[in-house]
This record gives sequence, C-alpha cells and structure tokens, in this order.
Amino acid sequence: MCPAFGSLRILSRIEGSHPVMATDTGCLYGLTFVTHFYGARKSILAAHLRTSELMSGEIVESTRAAIDVAAKEPGCQLIPVVSLCVAETAGLPEEMLPRRIGDAEVVLVRVPAYAIHSHPEAKDVALAALLRRLGQPEGERDDKSLVLLGEVFPADPLIIDAVVRQMGVSGTITLPGRSIDDLRRAARAGALAPLHPFYKETTAVFRGWDMPVVGGAPVGASGSYAWLQAVGRLLKLDPALVNATAESERDKAQAILNAQPLSGRILVTGYEGTELAYARLLIEAGADVPYVSTSIGADPLVLPDEMWLKAHGTKEVIYRKSLEDDLAALDEYKPDLVLGTTPFASAAKERGIPALYFTNQLASRPFFLSGGMAATIAFIRQMLTKGAQYQWMQEFFEVDHA
Amino acid sequence: MPNVIRDLSDTSSYWAAIWTICPLPDAHVICDAPIGCFNLVATAIPDYTDAVPHIENVTPSVIREGEVSGSGTAQTVKRTYEALRDSGILSDKRLIVVSTAESEMIGSDLSDLVTQLQPGTTFFHSESLSYDEWLGRDRVLQWLWDNYGAADAAQIAPEPGLVNIIGPTYGCFNAPSDLHEVKRLIEGAGGRVNLVFPYEATLAGMPSLAKAQVNVVLYQEFGQTLAATLGRAWLQAPIGIKATTEFVRELGRLLGTSDQAEAFIRHEKKTTLQAVWDLWRGPQSDWFSTISVGIASTRTYVDGLSAYLGDELGMQVAFKAYRPRHAGEIGNEEVRSLLHKSPPSFVFGSINEKIYLSEGGKRQTSFIPAAFPGPVVRRSIGTPFMGFRGTVYIIQEMMNLLYETLFNFLPLDSAYTAQNGGGLVSRVGIQPVSLVWTPEAKAVLDAALEKMPFIARISASRELQMRVETVAQQRGLKEIDAALAREVLEK
Repeated sequence: MCPAFGSLRILSRIEGSHPVMATDTGCLYGLTFVTHFYGARKSILAAHLRTSELMSGEIVESTRAAIDVAAKEPGCQLIPVVSLCVAETAGLPEEMLPRRIGDAEVVLVRVPAYAIHSHPEAKDVALAALLRRLGQPEGERDDKSLVLLGEVFPADPLIIDAVVRQMGVSGTITLPGRSIDDLRRAARAGALAPLHPFYKETTAVFRGWDMPVVGGAPVGASGSYAWLQAVGRLLKLDPALVNATAESERDKAQAILNAQPLSGRILVTGYEGTELAYARLLIEAGADVPYVSTSIGADPLVLPDEMWLKAHGTKEVIYRKSLEDDLAALDEYKPDLVLGTTPFASAAKERGIPALYFTNQLASRPFFLSGGMAATIAFIRQMLTKGAQYQWMQEFFEVDHA
Repeated sequence: MPNVIRDLSDTSSYWAAIWTICPLPDAHVICDAPIGCFNLVATAIPDYTDAVPHIENVTPSVIREGEVSGSGTAQTVKRTYEALRDSGILSDKRLIVVSTAESEMIGSDLSDLVTQLQPGTTFFHSESLSYDEWLGRDRVLQWLWDNYGAADAAQIAPEPGLVNIIGPTYGCFNAPSDLHEVKRLIEGAGGRVNLVFPYEATLAGMPSLAKAQVNVVLYQEFGQTLAATLGRAWLQAPIGIKATTEFVRELGRLLGTSDQAEAFIRHEKKTTLQAVWDLWRGPQSDWFSTISVGIASTRTYVDGLSAYLGDELGMQVAFKAYRPRHAGEIGNEEVRSLLHKSPPSFVFGSINEKIYLSEGGKRQTSFIPAAFPGPVVRRSIGTPFMGFRGTVYIIQEMMNLLYETLFNFLPLDSAYTAQNGGGLVSRVGIQPVSLVWTPEAKAVLDAALEKMPFIARISASRELQMRVETVAQQRGLKEIDAALAREVLEK
C-alpha cells in the first residue's frame, strides 16, 4: 500500500468531506482505486497535473479549480486538499489556496510518500491537520468525557463506551470517525485515549489544548485493567466504581482467555501500526509470538507494548520493517500462522502455512476489552486449525507427485 | 479554465511500463520510485485487478526526502541493483530501469548510470508525467521490440499459418477470457498461435515475433505501432457476431485457409452461436428493443458492445464513454450527471459508474463490470466479451440480471418485510383506500416514471404511487395534489 493512503482512508469517510488530490495520474489512479475499495463510495476530484502544469507553475490554479468543483457537491462542508509526491516536489504553497469556500473549510494535508514512510503515520498527519483547523477548544469542557483515538471496528467504540460509562465517564468521541462535528468538540473533552500508538502529531495537538493523555490501550486482561484504572485516575472518577469495573473487565477477559486458549506459533506483521497490541493479546491467550514487525518507527507511545512483549517471550520487535525482514523470520521461526502484508502472507501460503492479510482480516472484527477480544481470539483459534488444508493446497500446486 | 479530473479512468505510462514488462519472466525491473508508487502498481492494485498476489520481478529504488531534495536517485538505484545482484535474483535475467512521475519530476535521467550496472541493462523513460497507460503500453511494446527483438529478427522468415497476438498486459480487463477466445478463433480459422506478447512471452524469445505471417492486435488502445513495425498483415480482435465472422473470414484469407475458416463459421453457428439464435427466437429478444445500455469502457469494448448490442441485437445505446477519451467525447462529469438523472437499464462500466449509480440511488439499473478501475476477479476463461463465445456470454449475463430485476418486482406479502423492518410501504401495509390524484399530481408521477429504465416502470409505478399515498394517509389527506407528489417523489 502507498503510505499516503492512510490519509485518504480517513478523509474520504467523513460525512460532508470531498477530498481534492494534487498528484500525478499514476498515483491518483492507485490511490483512488484503494479509496474505492477501503475508504468510501465517494467520487474523487483532482487537479490535472501533467508536465505542462507542473513545470509552468499552474499547480495552484489547477488545484483551485478542483476545489471549486468540490464545493458544489451536495452537503460539502470540508475539502481536504491531499498533496502528494509530485505536488510537494513542485511546491504547493498553502497561502495560495482558499481557507474557506462556500460552507466548506479547505484544509491542506501534505502526505508525500517519500517523506511519510507509513500508512498509519499518514492517518496521523491528516487527522492532526483537520484538528488544528476545526478543533474548538473554547467553551465549556466536558471534564468526564473521553476521546478514543484510532480507527477501530465499529463495534469497538460501543463496547468501550458502555464499559467506561459504568465507571462514570460522561461519554466518548471516536476519532477518526465520520462526523465533522466530532472533530470540533473533541477539543473540549476531559482526556485523550490513543487506542493506537502512532498518533504522534494528533496527540501533540490535544496536549496543546491541555488535555491529559491516557497511556496504553484496553487490550487483553492486564492491558484492559491498567487502562481502565488510568482512565479513572485522569478523569478523577470514583475510585471504588473504577476498581469494580476494572476488576470485572479483567475477570471477564481472563475467563475468555481461559475458555479459548491459543496454542501455536504466530508471526504478527503488517503495516497498520497496531501489530504490537495484537501480539500482546495473542500471547495472553497462550500463543507463542517470537516475531513482531510493523511499518511505524520506534516511539515512546509503543515502548510499553514492546517491553511487555519482550518480557513475554517475543524475541524480535522490528520497526520500519521490510519484506526481507519478515521473510527471514519465516525461515527462522517456522510459524503455525502468519499475519502479514499480501506479499508476505502469500509467501507463507506458498510454504503451506496458514496466513492472513492483516489489513483485511484483523481490522474487520472487534478487538478491545473483553467484549471485543472474543471475536479476534476465536478467529485466530480457527485459523490455527487449518494447517492441513494449507498444506494440502500447497502440495497439490507445488509438489510434483508424478 | 484548468482541467479538473473527476475519478480518473486511465492510469499513467509508468504503470503501463511495469504492467507491460513484468509479464516477461526473464526481465527484472527496478522502478525509480517512492515506496508507494511501487506498492500500488506491484501489489495493492494487481491484487484486485489481475488477482495476482504480487508482481515479483520489480523492485523499487525507494526515493526518500534526500533524493528529492538534491542527491538524485543514481546512488539509490545503484544500491538497489547491488542488493539484487548479491541475492542472485538477476543471474538469469535482464535488468530494466524504469522512470516514474517522481523521478521525472526531479529530473533523474539514468541513461548513463545503467551502463555501470549489469551488462545489457537498459533505461526506459516512461514519460509518466505526459502519457496515459494506453499510449504508454504502445510505446513500451515498440521499445521492447527495438531493444530486445529487432536485431536478432532480421534473419527470421515468416512461417505459413503462424499468428501472433499482441496484448494483453497486466491491468487489461477480462484479459484471460478474451485471449482464450481469440486463440480459439485463430485456430478455428486455420492458423496456429505463435507468440502472445507480452502475456506469454519472454525477452529472449522476442525475435520470434518475426516468425508470424499475421498479427492480431487484441485492443484498439495499444499495440498497433508494433504491429505496423513488424510489417505483416494485422487484424484487430473482434466483438459481436458480424465483426467475429469477418475476422475469421479475413484471417482465413490471409493465411490461405479460407475453406477451413468457412467450415469453422458454419460449425460455430450450430454450436457456440446456437444459444444466440435460440434466445433470439425465444421470448428474450422481445425485451431487447426495450433495453437501454450505457457503456463506459475502453474503445475496444465500447465499439464492440455498441455494435453487438445496438446494431445487431437492437438495444438502445444510451451513452458511449470511451477510454481514453478524445476531444468532444463525454467524460465522467457527463456520465455522472446522466446516471443521476435518467440511467439506462444496463450500465457496462468501471467502479466509477457504480459509484454514480449509488449516489443517485439507482437500484433499478443493472451494473456489469466492463472496465478498470474497480476490483473484480476475471480469471475464469468463461467470461469473454470478444469472439463468438463473447456474444453468448454477454447476452447470458444481461438476461440473468434482467430476471433478477423482474424477480424483485414481484410482490411479496408485506408481513414478511415488516418482520425485517422493511420499507415505508411495508410497515404501513396495503391500505384499501383509494385517494384522489389531481391531474397535476398525476403529471408529477408520470415525470418521475419517465426517469426510470423502461422495464422497471410497470412495477415502479405502483410503488411510487403507494409511497405518495402512504404519506397522504399519515397526514389524513383525502386528495393528492402536485405539491405533495413533488415532496415525496422529487426529494
């Protein structure tokens, strides 16, 4: 995947948002294609940038023309201008673009793939740009409310919301989401809880609004317990209530882990930036996860998960990984199941090892707290039983019995 | 007024270069690209266009900030080459370095650098900032011939009966089926398939393109330049009954196998094409003249489908949107507006047209994938648009979708849909009250029906009428006037 896609994924899904892209046609074709697969059923506008426009400095005029068309879409409130490699190389000065047109805010999002490096980091850049423009910190704060930060399966925010309300949280907002209004009012919440560990710029924006940040994420038994306690402390909730909720969640989670134990060796790899958290849950459920790799860089936000994994048998945690790193791990660890990118998953299948494309299969089921983890663990359990089938298929196609 | 792109339909000539060169297994490409330009063209998109897990014989130079801001890409391409060489991947391959939009943007010309890499390494300047995928494919096919075929082809004489097929490459919609059918037609006409270039070819085997007596170019969009260079007679692959018959006949004439070609046509009429004759004599063809069709696809498909469905079967062709678009032809903006306002009963197109139908809430139009972009698996050889088998497949597909539409018009007892939280009409139930419609209100209803595909109208008339009457009942009205009809039907 092109790392810049992370930005389009979140920008295209917002209701009333009509992205305009500034890029070459090859890039536009690829990113529009994946947006129409993973993002939204949304028509995508772009400046027509060929040699003539790029070399003669008509890039601003072309982009403005596309903005004018976007503003006429029904219900348009937001026009993110997504500036990619060639436009960034040519130069697209922000001050030359309108800040508003009609009812719509125009927000420049710079995500050249040569500088962004990973899909999740592009999500962060895009969300931070939106919040800087749209966030409305003025006005009364809702001190007991919580912003959940991370693109998660739709059931997850409902599950988390229900649990934190039990301990006195007044409500939750999930970003990035589908509502422009959520971007405005998130600035007046009581605390920020990044569920995913790569929202560096976005977290800095919230810190600029003096918002406290909850560490960790509600993953597995120990992770859920610690996270609920941290939320309680930061929002100054009733400790007795918090304790009761956190203990109850831990017990429920432990019961699921006990009822559905995993056994087998799993490599957890991908480019989503959430791989460490998944590895953590699988280990708690009993799996052996010797190798974890991700596209994001090392960062204080991921360090707690890395330390937890290293203390629980993970031998290697690779940041900014390459396909070659993953392939070497496949030889080294001989796993029973592989979660990875399509080239890596197909390499595992070619060896008769069950494998899943992390992006398509893991992000599409609930994950957090006891209410979410069951679905993920059940799925992994089922996949761990499929060795014979993958082996049969591999032998049929690759071994000549003649 | 600068040009604005709505939902790009054609990718760039860099993509064309990768998708045209990489089917050749003895080529390895270094694309001089940021990581994203590699991931999209080699994995993310061919996963869903060609249903291949990833294209293996291409490696990116990985352009980063340093290269963009001054250092250029020569060193990173060199390092990429050295890593490939050391891994042994290049031992039996020829290396080709391909430029991308970004490398062209920073002015990286590697024609000199390639002379320092593995002997025989070439640089292909894809001109990605200037050309689209179609011209791109045409250029790279010719370039491949100039660099890897022509020199050794001079002493090769054509052999009677041999026929090349030029095209497909990766990223050509429905290629496996169309290719298979065209091969069958060539053999039916008395020829033998020599080389399918580049899909089933190698760089090393390229000189043997000169062995064919006739070339068949699969698509109108690219391949003609190479066909002309090869200097033999060439034919365009056919869609529809007439074009296919003429193709087989002409190929037979060129190969000196006319008797065989005529016998094949006679046999096809009694076998493959019998299905078209049966459908024509059956109740199905009665619908043909009531069916309207919109087509957005390559020129090959638009011309072929409109000749077959329009001229031969008598359907109404509502619009033709060609890729690549030429001056004066309708673009996506016009197609979108047509599909929002008055869509035809069938749309052949890409995911763009599918999105426009969704935006317009046009569920009564049947969509048939007929172009990229858009995810679709077309790896079975049983779904050709080309040739005699194509004529059967297309009409079979349309009739089955028509049956589906007709099925959905049949009434279903509202108690069942109510159980599932069904639509407004179902929830209210069928009321045995008949309300008075003013003539003006009736005119609004008729206008709403006019915008629907013909086949949908009979059943839709009842449904639209009930929608208005349900609202009227909820408000306790005795008469339906134009204002109410407009409120319900035109929102």
